[in-house]
Amino acid sequence: MNPKSRIKIKESNSRKIFRLFNALFLAVVCIIVVIPIWNVVVTSFAQDQDVMGGVYLLLPKSFTLKNYARVMNSGYMRGFWNSMFVAVSGTALAMAVTVPMGFALAQKKLIGRKIIMRIISITLVFDAGIMPFYILIKTLGLIDTRLSLILPFAVSTFNLIIVKNYMSSIPESLIESAKLDGCNDFMILIKIVLPLAVPILSAVMLFYFVSFWNRYTEAVMFINNSSRYTLQVMLRALVFQSDGSLGEGNAVYDNTKMAVMVLGMLPVLIIYPFVQKHFVSGLMLGGVKE
Amino acid sequence: MDKTRGSSKKFTSPGILKNIHRQKYLLLMLLPGLLWFVVFKYCTYAGLGLAFTNYGFKKSVDFVGMRNFIRLFKSVAFWTAFKNTMIISICNIIFYFPFPIIIALLINELRSLRMKRTVQFMIYIPYFFSWVVVGTIFVNLFSPSSGLVNQILKLLGQDSIYFMANPQWFRFVLIASYIWRQMGYGAVIYVATLSTVDPQLYEAASIDGCNKWKQVFYITLPSIKTTIITMLLLNLSHVLLIFEQIMVMYNASVYSVSDVLQTYTYREGILSGNIAYGTSISLFTGLVSFMLVMGTNWITKHFLEESVL
Repeated sequence: MNPKSRIKIKESNSRKIFRLFNALFLAVVCIIVVIPIWNVVVTSFAQDQDVMGGVYLLLPKSFTLKNYARVMNSGYMRGFWNSMFVAVSGTALAMAVTVPMGFALAQKKLIGRKIIMRIISITLVFDAGIMPFYILIKTLGLIDTRLSLILPFAVSTFNLIIVKNYMSSIPESLIESAKLDGCNDFMILIKIVLPLAVPILSAVMLFYFVSFWNRYTEAVMFINNSSRYTLQVMLRALVFQSDGSLGEGNAVYDNTKMAVMVLGMLPVLIIYPFVQKHFVSGLMLGGVKE
Repeated sequence: MDKTRGSSKKFTSPGILKNIHRQKYLLLMLLPGLLWFVVFKYCTYAGLGLAFTNYGFKKSVDFVGMRNFIRLFKSVAFWTAFKNTMIISICNIIFYFPFPIIIALLINELRSLRMKRTVQFMIYIPYFFSWVVVGTIFVNLFSPSSGLVNQILKLLGQDSIYFMANPQWFRFVLIASYIWRQMGYGAVIYVATLSTVDPQLYEAASIDGCNKWKQVFYITLPSIKTTIITMLLLNLSHVLLIFEQIMVMYNASVYSVSDVLQTYTYREGILSGNIAYGTSISLFTGLVSFMLVMGTNWITKHFLEESVL
């Protein structure tokens, strides 16, 4: 055996060991991510007596739907529907504003494109903070309305740039030839660009939905009327302030709390697997400037 | 007649008008979004001017110059909030920022495409949970009686720690939960960038006798440099604005280590109604953030020859 090939064998052995440890390490990372989520789900299906002693359930001891029945008959459902209203109408509005704007900005010939991109990208690095924002919402008379959780978040600069970048990568010849066929810009967007951009648009839609569904701070700042509370606000009150509005009047057990938690994660968990496969294709960063 | 037409050509330049007419649909598509930016971004910038007034309690609004800022810089609570914000931000950058890069490099070393996908799928999940959900998960995880972490500590013969109410440990919980939630998001973006690196570069390098470590430093990291810098700048732009996570997770026993600029603003400006004073804190925070980003951009431009903004 010549020395060269021996070295090669040795190297591949160390590579094998590295690969093994690498896979093990990533498995541990995944476990650390998944275990706490699993615990929430298991606990939400557990009987009262299984959570009373204060245990961290990893294996289901019992299975009951009673906790969900309790939650369904409580005020938390109103929070759920409030959140759903905000998230669905917010996402619809956000897409209706972001997509055409992204398309327009992707057209190199657009008048004033450079200036508009400047105006937009400044908002990525300079934020006026919560006080001017609060004053604005107050001045617009949006305090205590659901609109205050929808309108101010209709555009995310980040999502806009993702859409714009993706749409700039669509070959110009496609658009030019449609133009020669007599399509105007609206028809081009709807007939040619939208079908090509489905992957990125579904990812952006998920981002918008999640951002509306999860919003907490602004809901605390702007909504005082408890009948308009979103689920996240109610969930925070339940877990961190031991709010006792879940029926019985005495202590709310962890299993019921976790059932509310599952309610708070549910829409996202349902949509995520369908959209996830599009992420890698579309989420390339960069190209903020131009 | 001809003369006047000629002069009007000069002033209104019909070329542009014609262009506007040709692009009327594009401009129409742009309009709602642009209007949104003007109202919800640029009006808030204008609102920062209130920092120099006494807006809040009285009906009349008067210009008071730097009075709010003088009060701000003399306030002990402000400096505590500033210190806490800086400590948490610096810890976030040091401990969180390299994490997604390392994870992405490791994911990139996996051979099976299915394993790559599965790992990314799982670690990305927490990013879609609200801070309320993540906060609750960490309350459960770190609970002194039933939490997994304290049960492990007990097994090791240690006393249990009430992480959520212990000022010494609370910042650790903040950083840990931040990493737990955001790690996958960053990692997925880096993995996507890594997949665009030309494999021929690695082949050429290994023929030249470059080992794996050297390949990471001479090929992989330089090819994702732009993404790293973009992520760093985006991180820096909101690191001082940390708010929701704290609002959800903090409680009276850890105010001393977790009251940050934004929570201080919220308390002073909105809860106490001292709007002008609150605005001056917002302006201060915004300017420091802006300088942080611009400074970093300047540094990366000069030393790494890479400018993102």
